[in-house]
Amino acid sequence: MDLSAYLLLSAALFSLGLFGVLTRRNAVSVLASIELMANAANLNLAAFARFRGEATGQVFALFSTAITVAEVVVGLSLVILLYRSRGNVLLENASELKG
Amino acid sequence: MSAIDLALVCTFLPLGTALLLLVLPGLRRAGKTAGAISVAAASVALGAALLLFMRALQSPMLERVTMQWLPHAPPGAVDAAQSTIQLGVHLDGLSVSMLVVVCVVALCVQIFSLGYMASEPPADFGRYFMWQSLFLFAMNTLVIAPNLLQLFIGWELVGLVSYLLIGYYWQKPSAARAALKAFWMTKLADMGLVAGLVVLFKHTGGFEWTVHTEVAGTVTLLLFFAVMGKSAQFPLHVWLPDAMEGPTPVSALLHAATMVAAGVFLVARAHPLFEQAPSTQLVMAYVGAFTALFAACIAVVQNDIKKVLAYSTCSQLGYMVCALGSGSQVAGFFHLTTHAFFKALLFLAAGGLIHAVHSNDLRDMGGLFSRMKLTASAFIIGALALCGVPGFSGFFSKDLILEEVFARGLYAPFAALLLAAFLTAFYMGRVILLALFGKPSSHAEHAHESGVSMTLPLILLALPALGAGYFGTTLSGLYAEPVHFHTSAVGMLATALGLCGLGTAYFMFGAPQGGAALRAAFAPIGRLAASGLVDRAFLAVYRHGLRAFASAIGWFDRYIIDGLINALGYGTLEAGARLRPLQTGKLQDYVYAMAIATLALGTAAVFLR
Repeated sequence: MDLSAYLLLSAALFSLGLFGVLTRRNAVSVLASIELMANAANLNLAAFARFRGEATGQVFALFSTAITVAEVVVGLSLVILLYRSRGNVLLENASELKG
Repeated sequence: MSAIDLALVCTFLPLGTALLLLVLPGLRRAGKTAGAISVAAASVALGAALLLFMRALQSPMLERVTMQWLPHAPPGAVDAAQSTIQLGVHLDGLSVSMLVVVCVVALCVQIFSLGYMASEPPADFGRYFMWQSLFLFAMNTLVIAPNLLQLFIGWELVGLVSYLLIGYYWQKPSAARAALKAFWMTKLADMGLVAGLVVLFKHTGGFEWTVHTEVAGTVTLLLFFAVMGKSAQFPLHVWLPDAMEGPTPVSALLHAATMVAAGVFLVARAHPLFEQAPSTQLVMAYVGAFTALFAACIAVVQNDIKKVLAYSTCSQLGYMVCALGSGSQVAGFFHLTTHAFFKALLFLAAGGLIHAVHSNDLRDMGGLFSRMKLTASAFIIGALALCGVPGFSGFFSKDLILEEVFARGLYAPFAALLLAAFLTAFYMGRVILLALFGKPSSHAEHAHESGVSMTLPLILLALPALGAGYFGTTLSGLYAEPVHFHTSAVGMLATALGLCGLGTAYFMFGAPQGGAALRAAFAPIGRLAASGLVDRAFLAVYRHGLRAFASAIGWFDRYIIDGLINALGYGTLEAGARLRPLQTGKLQDYVYAMAIATLALGTAAVFLR
């Protein structure tokens, strides 16, 4: 199979993720969309590793997955705190950094 | 002892005395002891100066020792270690004769002060003598200076001591004001000296007065500005009459004989520089002649005996400056010498008179001759010397000046000086007749001759006031500018005018009836002098001119400098306020911006390589 097919799939996943991040109002959905973008990157890594016949990219993908999990843990705990302080998880309400 | 050692003794012994009195307050407060130490130091200094003078008479003297003060290699110097910023001793005919003049007058004044200041509290008495010693050190530092830098140091030191001594009676508001006024006026003028030195140093890399330089005109003009302040030339003369607030012996030493002559000495010293600047010399001749005439006019109408002498000093300094302006170093310096003696004598004798009647006012005196014969005779000798009566010292030096000025074709200054000579004789005749003869006032009834410490200096000073004129040839021989004294039409004219002045004074003030019309003729001058026109002009310049200048600068600072700073601050605030809405605080706006920016950068990287 051709490399470009993997890359196209990865680009589609990334775009879906970005769209989700930009448009969803719910913080949990945004986190899920971020996961989509991260996995698009992982897919790229695995595809290039396969195409070049090397293991390095796959190792990177494993590391990346681990880091993403940690990130989700932090993200979800932030969401929980958000829920506790305001009773909802709507992003537009959390704008304390407004200038 | 070598000549240099003698000069150092002359200079540093008084400094040692002053320091001793400074660090040992007990000694200073002892009063009489402090005075005795100071007089002893001044006597030794005079001895050293006289020894130097003897040696200079035997063979022409030129001794010079300098030491490096600050490291500074002149551009293009062969030996980089040889700095041009030096201190040292320079002895030639000029400095040696000046040393003698300073030491003689200083010693006489200090002895006189022992009697004159006797009723002062001991602590003040000691303070007075500490400053007297400091003055002798400062003046001698100036005189033996090997370059203009050391001369400047001495110049400022004598200015400081002048301030301290004018303000000796600091409890009196008028004395405190006079001291401040003298300080400010001379400091204003000293800016010229500083600027002149800077220009000289920039162009020649040193402070020598012997250099040939194309900036001589600028330098000498700036130096002359300082001379105008120190030697009380119009229009910077206003501090000198006020300086009479100091004790009378101080007026004799600082404000008649030596310190005010420092300006004249500077010009004589820096003669090689001034010779390169004919235009400066011309300015000097006119300023000097005008001052001589102007101050003499004011002296005619003063009722304070010290003020008469103060304006007379201005006038005589004008003579010296005019002589130096005509290019004759000898004439100016010779008059400085004789004037130092006879004017110090006049001031000390006037001090004796004031001491006897407890008043400066001529109208409180009268008939003192019969009561204090010795003091009065000394005063008359000084006055006759000042008037230029033949045989007295002033006759020789004044005639020399007039001849030199005439010979160089400066006819307008010459005429002014002649008229001033007439007025000089007139006002001195007036003082003699009012103070010493005529009907005694109530104050003068009980006057009696002063003690020996106040008459001895008069005798000591009367000798040179009488005889110094005969040493003119010797003096001119000391610095190789030969002068021939001879009878000439100019000299006879000046003498005749002087005698006329005395006669007029007798007609107006001595004769029982008469002179009312003449007195009326002088009334306008009196009113003009009493109005203090020059003082008010300075006041106007200082008060209005400087205040306007200050407010202009204040406006610039407040609105331009501060305005720039405030505009910067305000601009930053305003820009911040405008940029604030960009920070929405909404997470997705930031992500949006990041995505767009990444896309834009990626696109640019691909297409704009």
